[in-house]
Amino acid sequence: MSAPQLDDLDRQLIEVLARDARVSNRKIAGELGVTEGTVRGRIKRLQQEGLISFTAITSFGMAASTRMAFIGVQAEVSEVRDVARRISELDAVNAVMITMGRFNILAICLFDSLDSLLEVASDQILALPGVHHVETSIAVKTVKYNARVVRITEIDAGADEGD
Amino acid sequence: MSEAFSIDDVDRAIVEQLRVNGRATNQQIANTLGLTAATVSARIRRMEEADKLRVVAVSDFSAHGYNVLMEVAIEVDGRPASEVAAELAEFPEVFAAHLVTGRYDIDMLVVLRDIGDLPSLLLDKFSKVKGIRSMVPAIAVDVIKYKFDVAPIEAREDA
Repeated sequence: MSAPQLDDLDRQLIEVLARDARVSNRKIAGELGVTEGTVRGRIKRLQQEGLISFTAITSFGMAASTRMAFIGVQAEVSEVRDVARRISELDAVNAVMITMGRFNILAICLFDSLDSLLEVASDQILALPGVHHVETSIAVKTVKYNARVVRITEIDAGADEGD
Repeated sequence: MSEAFSIDDVDRAIVEQLRVNGRATNQQIANTLGLTAATVSARIRRMEEADKLRVVAVSDFSAHGYNVLMEVAIEVDGRPASEVAAELAEFPEVFAAHLVTGRYDIDMLVVLRDIGDLPSLLLDKFSKVKGIRSMVPAIAVDVIKYKFDVAPIEAREDA
């Protein structure tokens, strides 16, 4: 993968928008000392290249008991893409990656109760055809985490709209 | 977290629109939902002020120069796992670190500019951290889904 070329202005834009994505182009332009057209063009390019994505993060639906779990899946090697895609279709699962290591799929999910984790790991994932083994570990304490830096897997739907 | 704060269907519908396009104007959202722009604006502000909502840009690892993602599970020996995790978390390549239940003690997401950076990360950086008995990596060869849109929200530091 060729590394994207980002300059200081791109990085400043990302920083401003990571704080609040609803700030107007005009205000960003004033803050960074460039024209509104430049801001609009840069944002569009960053979105189209999958380098940024705008999203709404909510804390409702987030109970005090919400925990993260890592579910390592050993799936039949010839079916790994199919199994990963099916796991990614589960609402409760936030992240799915195909890996090379002690398992070949890693799923990360947030759950509110052990019952709901059991349902995802044992009833839904383990029951999929091609899944041999599931190993779950629960995060009991988060030492470091940054919700603003992610792997963007879909280009924003709004990326082509004029703003 | 205040228990008095409640979210109704209008709030939910607005959040739904924001998830599709976080930069949609209040007027665009209002038109889609049959509301006024003033209502949309007030609803968003109310949720944001209560730290229930943030509309933000998330950026890809590659925008920060990182092109390799891996999960690393760590077994700790002879030292509290929380101390080992805190020390590992100081490396910028350690993007997330959690203390976990199960066979391993620490689960981390690690990012690299390039796979060629792995030797120096392991041999010059991680190897200096005391208490690591073993490290078992799983290198992400393809990321199918990565979406965390429910998360704890920290209060804003400034306006």
